Amino acid sequence: MIKVNGLSFTYPGTDAPTLKALNFDIKRGEIFGFLGPSGAGKSTTQKIMYKILHHFEGEVLIDDKPLSKWGKEYYARIGVGFELPNHYLKLTARENMALFASFYPKKQIQDIPQLFEMVGLEADIDKKVEAYSKGMKMRLNFIRALLHNPEILFFDEPTAGLDPMNAKKIREHIIQLKNQGKTIFITTHNMYTADELCDRVSFIVDGALQITEPPATLKHNYGRDVVRVDLEDKQSAEFPLQGLGQNPQFLAFLNQAPLLRINTLEATLEEVFLQVTGKALKI
Amino acid sequence: MKKLIDLTLNDFKLIYRTPSLRAFLVMPGIIFIVVLVLLPMLVENFPSVEPYLPPILIVATFELTQMFGFIYCMVLIEEKETAVAKIYGVLPVSKIGFVLARLFIPTLITTVLTFILLEAQTFYPVAVVPNLVFSLIAGLLVPVYILGISVLAKNRMAGMVWIKVFNIAVVIPVIAFFIPQRFTPLFGIFPTHWPYQGFFSLLEGEAFLWQLIIGLFYLGGLLVIAVRKFALSHFV
Ligand SMILES: Nc1ncnc2c1ncn2[C@@H]1O[C@H](COP(=O)(O)OP(=O)(O)O)[C@@H](O)[C@H]1O
Ligand SMILES: [Mg+2]
Repeated sequence: MIKVNGLSFTYPGTDAPTLKALNFDIKRGEIFGFLGPSGAGKSTTQKIMYKILHHFEGEVLIDDKPLSKWGKEYYARIGVGFELPNHYLKLTARENMALFASFYPKKQIQDIPQLFEMVGLEADIDKKVEAYSKGMKMRLNFIRALLHNPEILFFDEPTAGLDPMNAKKIREHIIQLKNQGKTIFITTHNMYTADELCDRVSFIVDGALQITEPPATLKHNYGRDVVRVDLEDKQSAEFPLQGLGQNPQFLAFLNQAPLLRINTLEATLEEVFLQVTGKALKI
Repeated sequence: MKKLIDLTLNDFKLIYRTPSLRAFLVMPGIIFIVVLVLLPMLVENFPSVEPYLPPILIVATFELTQMFGFIYCMVLIEEKETAVAKIYGVLPVSKIGFVLARLFIPTLITTVLTFILLEAQTFYPVAVVPNLVFSLIAGLLVPVYILGISVLAKNRMAGMVWIKVFNIAVVIPVIAFFIPQRFTPLFGIFPTHWPYQGFFSLLEGEAFLWQLIIGLFYLGGLLVIAVRKFALSHFV
């Protein structure tokens, strides 16, 4: 559905390129993600893809048609969840939504109160946005991206700045969108978001893509298939996952002292990121 | 047409809910009172003011442009500062069409107010056709002013400074009235120089239409540039 070949971009007035020959593709109906630290070029890539930044090198194809050949009808097909809350503060949330809804073909527009209900804002629909908390504004950003029921969704840091509860809800909604057949491109610096949502994730550092794989594959390839057993008497040992139940040393070890904990040593996405890129995700 | 009215209604909602902007809506009322009531009283009591009536009248008339000029600058700069402008950047609309539609009604209202003021003032008769051209120029000044400032100003603070600068640029060509005639062409770089000179020519019974037409084309050209620059800078 989306294909990007050799995408490079330099901001006017700067000399070093921000994006360096990116190659990736996004399949219909998948959640694809960029995972990388702040300043890596994630937002820049999305801005190019929704045609806010121009004059890039390389090729961006949407349904095999170059981005430059798409006119304003492109925007009826895509939804954009911006990184930071942006609303008319003096208007109510409903007025904000109604205003932007008026720019799309009527038949595409979703039921607005239902969207508010979906993110738990139904009681606040007629409040001015200036009375909203950051978390509420971000949820409003989220549903605004869905207003016209677009096929393709761009979410830039969809869980940044949200408390764990709301972050979890947004992640669940994004998975629901995927189940409805949407094609979704997210960016994040949060390994949980990437791990939980992405069918495939690309690591991006300093404007370059390092690797693109499903999170499970990465964790498997870079982790070790062992369990680590810690006993209360401070002893610990590692045993291979394969045949663990029949492993006599493992069973004997368990009986030596009361058990403190057992962990699998599968890598976290964050550890894989560090191993692959040599850079920490933390910002 | 419906879109055009929707956009304007929304902007008026924003303006009405911002007290500092709402206050500016009385500005034309004040200008009308000054020109139609205070100025005649002043002339009656101090006849020595009379020779200065043409510059006072034309500047007061063009000050009508400053209401929507100021208000919409503030609306657009705030919209950019709060990144709301970015949303318009990803809507299925033509950017240039959107800008023109959004500023059409303030332009129209300014044109109409200018026309009414020039009709209603009792100092000098201005025929309907020249009045229409004056009013069109005044109307056209509004989007040029708004878009020019919005392109130049990165935030509200800078916006206030640019508004002052533009405000002075609107008024300053009136100086040409007070200085030796060979220096007047120097003010030709200011767009309002042309309608001002046109107004003086009109009162002198000289040819004035060419000056108005230069003013119209000058502003039209500036509008084309301003719309393009704005479309490139506002929505990113
Ligand atoms: N408008 C701009 N002009 C110049 N440089 C920019 C601009 N926007 C972003 N950058 C730079 O481009 C790089 C990538 O930014 P961005 O895409 O926002 O990163 P991310 O979204 O991954 O945090 C950063 O170094 C940032 O400073
Ligand atoms: Mg970013």
